[in-house]
Parts: sequence; C-alpha cells; structure tokens
Amino acid sequence: MISVYFLIIRRFIFLVLLQGLLFNRFDLFGSFDPFIALVFILTFPIKINRVTFLIISFCFGFCLDLFTNSLGINAGACITAAFVRPYVLNFVFGSFYDPHGVKILKDYVSESTFYQQILYLYTIVFIHHFTMFSFEAFSFDLTLLVLYKTFINSILSLIFCVTLIYIMIENEK
Amino acid sequence: MQQIIDFIIRKKDVVVYFILLFFSIILTINSNYFHKSKIILLANNISNFTTERFILFYDFFDLKNTNKKLIAENLILKNELESIKNKPFIDSISNANFSYQDAKIISNNLSSFKNNLVINKGNKDGLKEEMGVISNNGVVGIITNTTNNYSYLMSILNIDSKINAKIKRTNHFGTLQWNGLDTSYVKLTDIPETANIKVGDSIVTGGMSLIFPENINIGVISKIDKFKNASTNRKNNRSVEIDSRENYFDIEIKLHTDMNTLKHVYVIESLNKKEFKKIQKND
Repeated sequence: MISVYFLIIRRFIFLVLLQGLLFNRFDLFGSFDPFIALVFILTFPIKINRVTFLIISFCFGFCLDLFTNSLGINAGACITAAFVRPYVLNFVFGSFYDPHGVKILKDYVSESTFYQQILYLYTIVFIHHFTMFSFEAFSFDLTLLVLYKTFINSILSLIFCVTLIYIMIENEK
Repeated sequence: MQQIIDFIIRKKDVVVYFILLFFSIILTINSNYFHKSKIILLANNISNFTTERFILFYDFFDLKNTNKKLIAENLILKNELESIKNKPFIDSISNANFSYQDAKIISNNLSSFKNNLVINKGNKDGLKEEMGVISNNGVVGIITNTTNNYSYLMSILNIDSKINAKIKRTNHFGTLQWNGLDTSYVKLTDIPETANIKVGDSIVTGGMSLIFPENINIGVISKIDKFKNASTNRKNNRSVEIDSRENYFDIEIKLHTDMNTLKHVYVIESLNKKEFKKIQKND
C-alpha cells in the first residue's frame, strides 16, 4: 500500500512540473495547450477509495492552477474528471472492470479492445476539458466557443496522453 | 435523521465532490481576492520562482532572436532621434509624462479565454496596479495585481480587457476587445459607419486614459464588417428596443506583437496620475 502512495506522489510531482513548465508553453496552432497532466487521473490506481482520490485530485488541480495563475479552474475540472472516472470505467469495461483494483494498468491495455481504450480515454478527456473551459468562460454567451475549443483541445490532449500512457506501461512492473 | 446520515455515508464520494466543486467555484470567482491571501501568495511565489529559474534555459537558445529584435528596435530609435535632432527647439520638460521600466516575462499563457502574464518585477521596483505594459512593437496588457517580486498582467488577449484605441489616420476612437480564439487578431468596436476607413489603416492607442501614452502601435486593420457579431443579433430579435450599435463597424485588427514569442517588455508609469486623480476627486 505504501508503495502505491509513493508511486502517486512521484507521478504527482512529475506531471505537475511537466505540465506547468513545459506543456503550458506549447501553444500549438496559436492557442492550444495539450493537457498532459490528465494522465495522473486516467491512470490513478483503482485500489484507492474514491474520497481520497477526489481530495488528491483536488490538490493536483490546485498545484496546476498555481502555474497558470487561474485559481480553481484546473481544480474544478480535475475533481470532475476524478468523480466521473468510476462510472466511465464501469460503462466502458463492463464486467471486465473490477472495483477492488487487483488489475493493473497493463491488464487493462492488454485485455481490452482498442475502441474501449479510446472511448474511456476520450470520454474523460472531453469531460475534463469541457468543465475547464466552462469554468474559464463562466458565462453562457461563450458556449459555442467553449465547445469549439473543447473539441480541438481534447483531441490534441488525447494524442499526447496516449503517447505518455504507452511509455508508462513499458516501465510498469 | 438516521436515514439522512446513512445516505450521506453511503454517498460520501458525491458529497465530497460537491463540497470540493463548490470550493473551486468560489476560488474561481474570487481569484483576485485570493491572490492577497498569504498561503496562496507563498505557493504562487514558489511556482513563479521555479518557472523563473526554468526559463533561463529557454532564454539561452533564444539569444539570437533577442539580439535581432534589439537591433531592429535600436534602428527605429536612432532614426527617431535623428529627426528630433534637426528640430531647433527641444522642450525636454513638457514631454516627461511617462517613465519606462524594463521587465522580463516569466509565464505567458495563451490557451485560455482569460490569459494572464507574470513579469519579474513587483512592488519592490515601484510597480503598481493599472500600469500599462508594452513590447517593442505593440501593447501587451495592463497590470492587475502586484506582489513583492512579481506582477500579474491582464493580457490584451483576455475577453475582459478593454483598451482605448484610435485609428491613426482619421482619429476615430474605439474599444479593443478579444474574441477569445485567434491569438493574433483582436476586434475594434464603436467606430461609426460614417468613418472613412480602409483595410491597412494602422491602429494606435488613444491616450484617453493615463495607462498608455498616445500613439503606441497596436496593429493594422485586416477586415471590416458592417454587421455586429452573432450574439448581439440574437439579442436584437428578442428585444423590441432598437439596438443603437447597428450603425457601427465591426473591425478585425492584426496585432503587431507576436504574443507567442514575447520575452522582454516595458512597463509604463504615468507621472501625472496623482495629479489627475486629484482633479477627478474635486469633480
């Protein structure tokens, strides 16, 4: 159990720094930053109970906010993603999903189809981005703009997240 | 009562989620206020400090470009100096309304609707709120918040920012706003249809406020539309009132400043601000 928390702390620091220092400066096509820090929530160990998961992801979002000087926006989006994750897992993987968390990341990748993986990843990335941009705009006048940005940015994030997850699997024991 | 408590225990993740969500919404709404709280200030200083050290690495690889920009700016300034030299009288007292300070950008994000920048000077160097910031070829933003060592700017690419601007050739005044999407274009509103404007006219700061001096370059007109954007049209249909804004141009402006590659900026301090405020109070 301690080793799991150690893993979480390691990923926490690594991804906050990666996002805050490197990926926030990407500005692809003018104004799109791929949100790679979402890998933290996507690959969070299932063993840990939901309340702890929510609190940890709030801290995670808050740390990201400090780098973008936008308090509360990333935190709100991260807890939303963390909150919907069990439901999405249940929906996508069905009977294969085990809430007790005996399986590790590698099993999910090797024992599920490609479409399941993409559906799982994209649903959470989309929900996260939609919450983040809605929080940012904070008005209904910009709904179209929010949807447009969400759509493009989530595809970019998905590409980067998938790449990082595959790199992580190679190193998983 | 027992049932309520049972329900809360059973659904504790939902309860925790909504508490945290509520907390983050409060943070979002009051983010300006929370900048003044001690803990967040400390955390923010740590993140700024980290970024400041990290960009040293970036800067090293950009020295070539920085030098190029400096030489170009020097050339313009030298030409300007030459034109002043030929004039018989130089009134050195009356022109000193503004003083400039250099600063370096620590973080600059373009991906959100409300973009912020952080620069490496703060209260210690005499920076205060509502000072203008420009780069060597255009307006960058306005300082909204200062700490001891750092200042936060509201970028020109922020949907809340409104900057007074005018068309250089015809002297029509308008307001600059960003539409939230394209980082090299902004919109100029409130220019009446009677104005004789063309694509390619240059836009400069208006000098109606004490934040920016007059005639600082902003950009050039790239597109002129006679109609308002969709959101105001929709409102038109609903209300019976005649929209008075219908007789105004909707102008797209290409910015001179490339916000992506911005490194060094100048902060403008208005020396007449105190005097101006005094007069305003008397009114």
